[in-house]
Amino acid sequence: MLWLCIALPQLSLEALRSEDSDVPLVVTACEGSARWIVCGNPAALDARLKPDMNYTVALALCPTVQKLERSAAAETAALARLAAWAYQFSSTVIAGEIPVDFRLARSCALWLEIGGSLKLFGGFRNFIAALEHELKLLHYSYQLGIGPTLEGAALLARGEIRVVMPSIAALQLRIRNLPIALLALEPEIAGALHTAGVRTIGLLLELPRAAVSKRFGVQLGNFLDRLIGAAADPRPVFRLPHRYDARFDFEFEVKSTEALLFPLRRMLHEFAGFLRARDTGVQRFTLTFAHRGATSTPLDVGLSLADRDANRFLTLVREQLEHFELPAPTIGLGLTADQFAMPAALQADLAQGGLQQSEELAHTIDRLAARLGTQHVHGLRQVADHRPEASWAATPLPNPGGNLQFPERPLWLLQEPKPLQLSVMPQIVAGPERIEGGWWDTGDVQRDYYVVHLSNGSSLWVYQDLGEHGGWYLHGFWS
Amino acid sequence: MNRAETLQHLAWLCRNGRTAVAPIIEASGWTELDAVLPGGGWQAGTVVELMPAAIGIGELQLLMPALARITRAERHVTLIAPPYIPFAPALSQQGVRLERLLVIQAQRAEDILWAAEQSLRCRSFGAVLAWPAAKIRDRDIRRLQLAAEAGGSTGFLYRTVDAAREASPAALRLKLQRVASALQIDVVKCRGGRSGVSVKVEAPCSGCA
Repeated sequence: MLWLCIALPQLSLEALRSEDSDVPLVVTACEGSARWIVCGNPAALDARLKPDMNYTVALALCPTVQKLERSAAAETAALARLAAWAYQFSSTVIAGEIPVDFRLARSCALWLEIGGSLKLFGGFRNFIAALEHELKLLHYSYQLGIGPTLEGAALLARGEIRVVMPSIAALQLRIRNLPIALLALEPEIAGALHTAGVRTIGLLLELPRAAVSKRFGVQLGNFLDRLIGAAADPRPVFRLPHRYDARFDFEFEVKSTEALLFPLRRMLHEFAGFLRARDTGVQRFTLTFAHRGATSTPLDVGLSLADRDANRFLTLVREQLEHFELPAPTIGLGLTADQFAMPAALQADLAQGGLQQSEELAHTIDRLAARLGTQHVHGLRQVADHRPEASWAATPLPNPGGNLQFPERPLWLLQEPKPLQLSVMPQIVAGPERIEGGWWDTGDVQRDYYVVHLSNGSSLWVYQDLGEHGGWYLHGFWS
Repeated sequence: MNRAETLQHLAWLCRNGRTAVAPIIEASGWTELDAVLPGGGWQAGTVVELMPAAIGIGELQLLMPALARITRAERHVTLIAPPYIPFAPALSQQGVRLERLLVIQAQRAEDILWAAEQSLRCRSFGAVLAWPAAKIRDRDIRRLQLAAEAGGSTGFLYRTVDAAREASPAALRLKLQRVASALQIDVVKCRGGRSGVSVKVEAPCSGCA
């Protein structure tokens, strides 16, 4: 087994926020009566605000600092989304636990078994390049480590040692001189080890295991055994869900559509990763905008061809958002999809020009429908009914077509027949054509249709109502 | 290649300055009109302005032979912001395959132009018919012209007859009016051809043929 660990030191912050700002921003957690910094953005680090610092001290150092409350639920959701995304690279994905203790929050990680994937991706270098390319699109801070055990890979990631350690022996040799702090031990144990003069991992490993367990707790002994592969490390493996249901809660209000695009971009890239993992695509997914104290707003995104391209998804969502008024500021996003279909582009490997064109057409129709509304982009079909207004219908795309025979008809039909005031009877060139029907629904008509010519050259389609209302009406143009 | 075609090709080369492929021409289906149009029909990748004097004189009928052929050749046609309902039975009678026809309803002027540009840019469309709102700027027509060149489709813009007095960057501008039983087409502007000529086509649009 060869494990790749993706360590996420900033997850507490990045689970709440996907874009960086210039304002010092920290995530804090309460313990006892005090408030502590869990982690901060680069601007906060520049202002000398460090993790595990008391928030009161931080306020004294930098009065402009903004704070967010740590949310374990948001971290769990983010890690679940990432695990689904990571499934495209490996069929064995392990999502680490979200530590309860805020001092360990920065040790959160995700593991992928990559021994079986390397060949598929064409070697180690290609695999890492592909993974990092996708991972960068999600805008998480990450560190990678590759080792033979889970804890070993995590240790290498935290130590930022980007060298593959294929065997336990190589791992032990490489980590010997690393400081104890990288092990992400419970702060009390780390403190005790420090007092006892154990500063490096090598020293700790050389101590008799029984004595270590006795003095510092059984947990530490177990941990060391798992680190060097002396004990098994069974963990629940992440299972890819059948329907996609992802959440992103911000814990603060987002008012502008522009600002929503940052979290949306990340979610759609994660979604695309999930689709690649399932080796499928979608034609329809639903975005949900959560508001504080109001029912959330759903937004259905439909595509005419199944797809899994995050950038195309984003274009469509952006078009739709521009013509869509959210009733209140957004505090969270949801993305659900439960119907999947193979993307058309992948169905035919012997891609011909025809397929490319139909795909281009589908993307164009999607863009048009996203901006103008689905009901405003449609096809036309004939309906077997004698009444002109009932003999056509708008039909959703793609339009299967069909053919019916009608007497000669004008190219333009009016939405509503327009009453005509006739002072002089115009020149009738054809007619009458009697059209009766519709007694079976409410649209009962009895009409005599004529073609008339006006002096300016227009040909009109008019009728005389034979029903109780009477009178002449304009119903179309022979354009 | 006969003499006339050679000259035509030379004229094309002079205009474009390179040995580009000759443009794709879709015959309009009216012999009299094809005779005056450069290349003998509607030229793909251009914008054509049609300015009818009134509604119901055969301004749509003029395009029907071309639209029928385009839809039968598996290409699509879109109608953007039509002023009335494009009547499906009539279109079908004219030979247009309805399954290759799209109707786009748009109200705002910028949406109409945007939809026209997007459709023109897409190579699946053979013809894009648009009814833009009253005022349309030269800049917008130039954008549509570029989109048509990129997508290789023909854009037909329906404008009011007043627009014939103003200049426009469109490649071909036709004024339409009905004279007795014929549709008279005045060529207001014709890139690569003669402007100022008038032709009459016997368009049996009156519904009484």
